[in-house]
Amino acid sequence: MKPAVVIPICICAAALGSHATRFSNVVNPPVRAAGLEAQETHAAASLLGQFRTSISSFLFLRSDLYLHGGVEMRPLTKKEVDSGKKGVGAAADENEKLADDDSIVTVIPGARDDFRGIFGDVERSVASYKDMTGHHHQSPTQTLPLFRLMTWLDPKFIEGWTTGGYVILFDQKPGCIEKALAYLQQGLESNPDSIDILGQVAYCYLKEMEPIGYKGHQYDKALPYLEHARKIGVGNLKLLTEGEKEALEENYRRLAVCYRELHRYQDMRDCSLEGLQLFGQDGSLRQHAKEAEQLLRTQTTRQ
Amino acid sequence: MKIATLKALARSVVLESLRRKDLWVVAILGFLIILAAGTLGFFGFDGLQVFAKDLAVTVVGLFSTIIAVLTSFRLIPDEIRNRTLYPLLSRPISRIELLVGKLIGSIVVTWMSFIILCGLTAIALEIFQVQFTVIMLQYVLMKMLGLAVVCSISMAMSIYLTPNAAATLAFIIAFGAPMITRALTMSAPTVDVGTRTLYSVLNGVLPQTQLFDLGGRAVYPNWSPVPIWILGFLLAYAVVYSSAMLGLGWLKFRKQAI
Repeated sequence: MKPAVVIPICICAAALGSHATRFSNVVNPPVRAAGLEAQETHAAASLLGQFRTSISSFLFLRSDLYLHGGVEMRPLTKKEVDSGKKGVGAAADENEKLADDDSIVTVIPGARDDFRGIFGDVERSVASYKDMTGHHHQSPTQTLPLFRLMTWLDPKFIEGWTTGGYVILFDQKPGCIEKALAYLQQGLESNPDSIDILGQVAYCYLKEMEPIGYKGHQYDKALPYLEHARKIGVGNLKLLTEGEKEALEENYRRLAVCYRELHRYQDMRDCSLEGLQLFGQDGSLRQHAKEAEQLLRTQTTRQ
Repeated sequence: MKIATLKALARSVVLESLRRKDLWVVAILGFLIILAAGTLGFFGFDGLQVFAKDLAVTVVGLFSTIIAVLTSFRLIPDEIRNRTLYPLLSRPISRIELLVGKLIGSIVVTWMSFIILCGLTAIALEIFQVQFTVIMLQYVLMKMLGLAVVCSISMAMSIYLTPNAAATLAFIIAFGAPMITRALTMSAPTVDVGTRTLYSVLNGVLPQTQLFDLGGRAVYPNWSPVPIWILGFLLAYAVVYSSAMLGLGWLKFRKQAI
């Protein structure tokens, strides 16, 4: 190949390469990776020995396993649901949304559902198996290093940041709010336009934690994050996944409450109505819209 | 069957493996494990113990199964290809003794590799300040039995198939059987009685290699050791299944024209 051809190609490649970071949001968008919830994929993942295309996803699934003390769980199949089979039910100690256990069962079946006879009995004795009805979760804080590892490997892995944030808050230890906020801020540095992370930061400012004397309700601090999430959501509505739409809907509710507590009733009404246009079925937003109208009327009457 | 003959045959397999420097590969793999553990230490060791154990059990299980298949699938085909089988059989050694001796040798090599891997992994776990428990010892012992079963399957396949096909099928059985068993248990409650009977037969024929994996109990906290009768059952199962595989191989090998 002649230098006259090679040199321009090299220059073009170098020019493109120097702007490669501009494409990172297109190639690896800061949105949820759809279908990564352990509950949705656990059966397939169990069958395939948890071989996943990315280590972060693998670690995310492992964290679910840690939460259940090593007992492998899977979702009920459609056939099982149709036949009336029930899952193990929500965990007895569930007080944070860390896992949805209503429709999952253990991968190794109980003796009643196992056709294997003694082989089944032996497997239940050698594997990390137990009846998970009304089970307790392990303290999720032991999974925290995994979340740190997965977000270090893939800073665009939104679930790693948001679930990690919940995990830090789970034990309600002194300083957990500051730690969670610092962790989520790191997440925002890599994903400034993530509705989930923005909503999670706002949650940290709003949530009250009695055991550590944290009063929460810092509406003024939560507001910028919720407003930013609202702006992103409205501008990219068609690109949002179902999960992100849910997060956006939740953000609208929180935003309405923030405006109310900061006495910005006009903004409260506008935000609630905008939310209703997007999520017409939301009863809370409808309630907030009515409340805003009333508050505005009272304010006008007083003036 | 003469013990001295079996011992000599097994010894030749071990010496051959040492000559081929197979154990060096194991040592390198182990070194990589320690290196990976050191890298993970970057995130701090506190809380990573479960993950470190999980990773260790996964890596050791994977590598040792690969070593078991690779050690045992080529023993008989190599003897035939290198024409070293003729001088062997010209001595007062029966074909069944040859198979048993070779199988014992491959099991010994696999166990040696496994113990080296375990030793190096233990160093890695020590870095993570992991506490060693009775279940970990049970894990090692049962895994050794499971590897013996894998060796017997791999050797039986090598008598019926070409070496490459035997290795491939042995890998599929070793790694795929637990998946198939899991799929069968998942779907069994929703199938009719006839299909469930077929499932039972299939489950009986497939090697239950997942039963030898106590990794889950060894990794996660608060699990009690496995009862002795279960260990006894697994020992009996390993002996019976390996003998069946050996018998299957012998059925072909005893009349095979060499």
